[in-house]
Amino acid sequence: MFKTPSRILLVDDEKDFVEMLTLRLQEIGEEVLQAYSGLESLEKLKETEIDVVILDVKMPGMDGIETLQEIKKRYPLVEVIMLTGHGTIETAVQGMKQGAYDFLIKPADFDELTTKLNKARERRHDQMERIRKAEANSLLRRSNI
Amino acid sequence: MSDSHNISDSSHIGEMNVLLVDDEKHFREILVKRLSQRGIIALQASDGEEALRLLEEKPVDVIVMDVKMPRMNGIETLRHVKDQYPATEVIMLTGHASTRDGVDGIKAGAFDYLTKPIEFEQLLRKIRQAQNKIRRAETEKKEIEFRERIKQQMAINERLVALGTIATGVAHEINNPLAIIQDSAGWVKQILAKPEMSTIPRRPDFEKALDRIQTSVDRARRITQQLLHVVKTQSAEIPDLVEMTEVNLRKLAGECIALVELEASYKEIKVSLESSDPNPIVWTDPYQFAQVLLNLLTNSIQATDAGGKINVVIKSSEEQVSLAVQDNGYGIPEENLTKIFEPFFSTKAVGVGTGMGLYISSGIVTKLGGVMAVDSQPDKGTTFTIELPVKA
Repeated sequence: MFKTPSRILLVDDEKDFVEMLTLRLQEIGEEVLQAYSGLESLEKLKETEIDVVILDVKMPGMDGIETLQEIKKRYPLVEVIMLTGHGTIETAVQGMKQGAYDFLIKPADFDELTTKLNKARERRHDQMERIRKAEANSLLRRSNI
Repeated sequence: MSDSHNISDSSHIGEMNVLLVDDEKHFREILVKRLSQRGIIALQASDGEEALRLLEEKPVDVIVMDVKMPRMNGIETLRHVKDQYPATEVIMLTGHASTRDGVDGIKAGAFDYLTKPIEFEQLLRKIRQAQNKIRRAETEKKEIEFRERIKQQMAINERLVALGTIATGVAHEINNPLAIIQDSAGWVKQILAKPEMSTIPRRPDFEKALDRIQTSVDRARRITQQLLHVVKTQSAEIPDLVEMTEVNLRKLAGECIALVELEASYKEIKVSLESSDPNPIVWTDPYQFAQVLLNLLTNSIQATDAGGKINVVIKSSEEQVSLAVQDNGYGIPEENLTKIFEPFFSTKAVGVGTGMGLYISSGIVTKLGGVMAVDSQPDKGTTFTIELPVKA
């Protein structure tokens, strides 16, 4: 299957969880970066171009929702999938209202995770494509004058 | 003396039972007649023994009794009466100039005494006073019982809340390690699926173990998700999750029955629906209520032998609508009746029931402003009744 090369950032304070999910995603050919807190995730986003962030809702310090707001403010085109250990969909719904692409309830089914991951990536890809086209159009128009 | 001047007073003591005990037949009969003119029906006994025999058949509220009687005298009879029927009030009639008897009577538990010859109006007043005392005692008893019931209910509620808090805390904490277990096992599975791994020794053993891990994780996940769902349904912080609307209960019940009919048909169980009102309307959340109803129906199907019957009966009045799910299944042993609404209580096989169904259902019903009750007899069947207010 053809895959657009892309990067995933996994954000969760539970190190073992991050490690195991990274290994699984790498096993299917994904490139995965890790962050263990909201602040660290923002640093990683500054250093590297990321397509999709998988973000835990419940973290000490800067929690998932705050991190999401910050990510969306700085990098509005980055897609975010919320991971909620709460089962309370409210936080996830709140997250989606603030721009998260979708959510998953922990422990999440791996197939479901990859499906949502691919869709989020697709959306980002389409969006970037439209922006490129729009930019090209405006350049064309400008050069026509 | 005219008896007619305050006859209206008799109306409120009409339901009172009085027993008149005296060995003088003439005296008794006159008194009984006059009492009946005032709306009080009095039984008669000629001595203590007869009085006790009559009481065995039918207890009375007030006894009017002579102290001086042959064989068993008034005081002795009084002791027997107070011993066996402590709620009965006794008015003693003493002979002229024998105050001593009256005082003895009060010491033995009499309400009061009157000296013969008695004045009828005074006797009537005494009877009414005795009756008031009985009424007060009854009201107090009811109040105490009521308070006791509320206290018990509160204790149960507190326990459920505490259990819920602990359980959800545990659920939160367990989800993370559960996710790690799941992904670890999933990762090994992914590796096993690689072509270069196809020939490793004891491959079926690995697969079997991984499969068990996955099944168990799924089971634990189901439990934690249900637990967290409880918080969601019971938390007061998010009341808008309930979407109240006008619901035709008969239609909703019909839809729920349709959903379980296939499962019931496997066991040849007939599910029927009765409703006194063709359109019983309640104000409730149809989805949450349907969840409760489906839970009850599924329970009934599981608790009923092949060929059994399940009845859904809807009754409506102006203030409330009740819905009962009746089955003729195995029933619930008495010792389990108080436990079935607790979380994790299940008699189903391990892995089949999570013990959360009725806990969640009763939580939902309470939240919808209703009451859920159970009535069950082993080997005869079980009835769950939900009462809902017509309008919140």
